Amino acid sequence: MTMELEYNRELYGVEHEAGPFAITADVIQTFNRSIGETNPMYTDAATAQAAGYNGVLAPPTLVTMLVRNVELPDIELKFGIMRFHAGQRVQSRAPIVAGDSLMASSHLKEVYPKTGRSGTMVFTVWETTFTNQDGVVVADVQESYASRE
Amino acid sequence: MADRNGPYFEDIDLGDEIGPVELVATDENVINFCQLWGNPMPNRFTSQEMAEASGLPSPIVPGVMSMAIMSQALTDWAGPEALKDLDLVFRQPVPHNKPLLISATVTDTRQEDGENLVECDVLMMGEAGERYVGGTALISLPSNEE
Repeated sequence: MTMELEYNRELYGVEHEAGPFAITADVIQTFNRSIGETNPMYTDAATAQAAGYNGVLAPPTLVTMLVRNVELPDIELKFGIMRFHAGQRVQSRAPIVAGDSLMASSHLKEVYPKTGRSGTMVFTVWETTFTNQDGVVVADVQESYASRE
Repeated sequence: MADRNGPYFEDIDLGDEIGPVELVATDENVINFCQLWGNPMPNRFTSQEMAEASGLPSPIVPGVMSMAIMSQALTDWAGPEALKDLDLVFRQPVPHNKPLLISATVTDTRQEDGENLVECDVLMMGEAGERYVGGTALISLPSNEE
């Protein structure tokens, strides 16, 4: 039997934008320090330049830090009282380099129920696409939130 | 080619294991991460009181940070430009100040659109076998025949 979910379906197809986000060498370095990242392609401009980039590379998950800056609406889901971050996906499309300026655009990707050993949960998935100053898509991030009764 | 530290596509076989890499997310690491992330503090990631108010026994590592450190383990192995896709499920709260074991197992290798792709199951576990975070990764490696 299919579970009929009640939420605001008019949100499909609506983009929510934020930015620009300046990806400076300082931002990348602070991110590196917070996770103990030491790879010279992420930390040393000379190494990155020798590999053909204009500046240090951003580690592939740095963009996930920016998603929370997009103001997303309440989908008005009529299910559950607890909500938690259930999963996350990052797809790297092109290098992100110090000096880049990124725009973010988020949309509601899907809402679906799943029943397992601990009962039924409803997952809400938002997808955010990051585009650089040249109009190149550099990454897609999906965040999944679970609601549980 | 001789200066490359990471593996080549031809080096990889189904079932190959990567890691485990052991690391610890300290209280200080999490606070630094939350500051950069812009998450107002105190919060359930940094405060015992707020963690308990959220039904957690102690502050936890944010999912975004768990992803960052699992990504780091993979790029340390494969190279800084190698990770194409990382898809994770946060299965259990990840604790601060305890060993986190990150590993990957190769489940597929293929050549697609001119890329040499390696697919892995990835896992972050605790010392007692807790399966904190699981998922898949897609990695692109150079060929030693190029």
